[in-house]
Amino acid sequence: MKSEDWVSTALRALAEQDAELEAPLAVEDRIRKAFRRKHAMRRWRNFGSWSLAAAAMIAIGVVAGLRHEVREGRPVPPPRAPDSKVAPQRVAARPPQVAAVDPPIADQAPASKPAPSNRQPREVVTEFFPLQDVAMPFERGELLRVTVPASTMRKVGLPVNEDHLTDRVYADVLVGEEGLTRAIRFVSYEK
Amino acid sequence: MIATDQTLLERALEGAEDAFTALYRRRQGAIYRFALHMTGSTAIAEDVTQEAFLALILHGSRYDEARGTVAAFLYGIARKLVLRRLDRRDEAALEVPEDYAGPEDLLEDLTRRESIEQVRQAVLSLPPIFREAVVLCDLQDSSYEEAALALDCPVGTVRSRLSRARAMLVRKLRGVAMV
Repeated sequence: MKSEDWVSTALRALAEQDAELEAPLAVEDRIRKAFRRKHAMRRWRNFGSWSLAAAAMIAIGVVAGLRHEVREGRPVPPPRAPDSKVAPQRVAARPPQVAAVDPPIADQAPASKPAPSNRQPREVVTEFFPLQDVAMPFERGELLRVTVPASTMRKVGLPVNEDHLTDRVYADVLVGEEGLTRAIRFVSYEK
Repeated sequence: MIATDQTLLERALEGAEDAFTALYRRRQGAIYRFALHMTGSTAIAEDVTQEAFLALILHGSRYDEARGTVAAFLYGIARKLVLRRLDRRDEAALEVPEDYAGPEDLLEDLTRRESIEQVRQAVLSLPPIFREAVVLCDLQDSSYEEAALALDCPVGTVRSRLSRARAMLVRKLRGVAMV
């Protein structure tokens, strides 16, 4: 028999032996969950684009109102986020370092002269806390601004006063392109 | 009437989970075996299968029927994932001796598991560009055209790689078989 023939026979035997091999059922379960998440995200995004437009209108109204009050010399109330909880924004291809701690917030130096009356509140964020036990590759995703109960902060080890557990706080949730939530950080505003 | 892969993919991209599941069940075995024959690792084969179908969920809209079948598109995705894994792995771990010493005739012995395992190891020891041609055309029964699309090269290149790969296998298995 020619060498090519027996190589073909040998390969055929290998192919026949492995013909029934398949991925475990657990893989199918995982992939179907990912499929559901992805399409749930898509439906949610469609809803989000409408609510984003509504949020923009509300935000414009709030800013216009604030300016009016500042001109009249009244104190500026604490910032309010748009009622919509959805404000998705694309993040860079590289994810934020989940373990990294943001630079400390510099103390405000005593003001030698009065601050301008139209100073905008400063956004202060915590580090990102991972939401997955195992670090998965991350290439692209979205950062979603949401509100969550303050008790969520406790789940990642941040201290929260008992009296404020049900208060709502702002958070940024990092969602991978496949729909998995990867990390969360909390946001507050400093005047 | 059985839905084609393309129909299933189109419905899946619209959000039909039943269509996606049907497509997955139809094609997962081939993708899993392709990854297994390329890497020799069931763990990597599982990962590659999962990631290939995840990529199909995310980027399935890039499929162009004019370029080839859904199966070839999936093989192309799986191939990239496999090559990325192979880059990370120590190829030396897969190395097997150039020639196997064995007194028995390979053909008489093919039913024996050990001989088939030797063939498997010989395939795994081929350089990746030759290995993928053998795995697709000889082990997965893909056509040259389908393999060419998956490997992103002309059909003539598939033929020549296959020819060279088979010649390498003859040399590697010389000690076992009666030529």
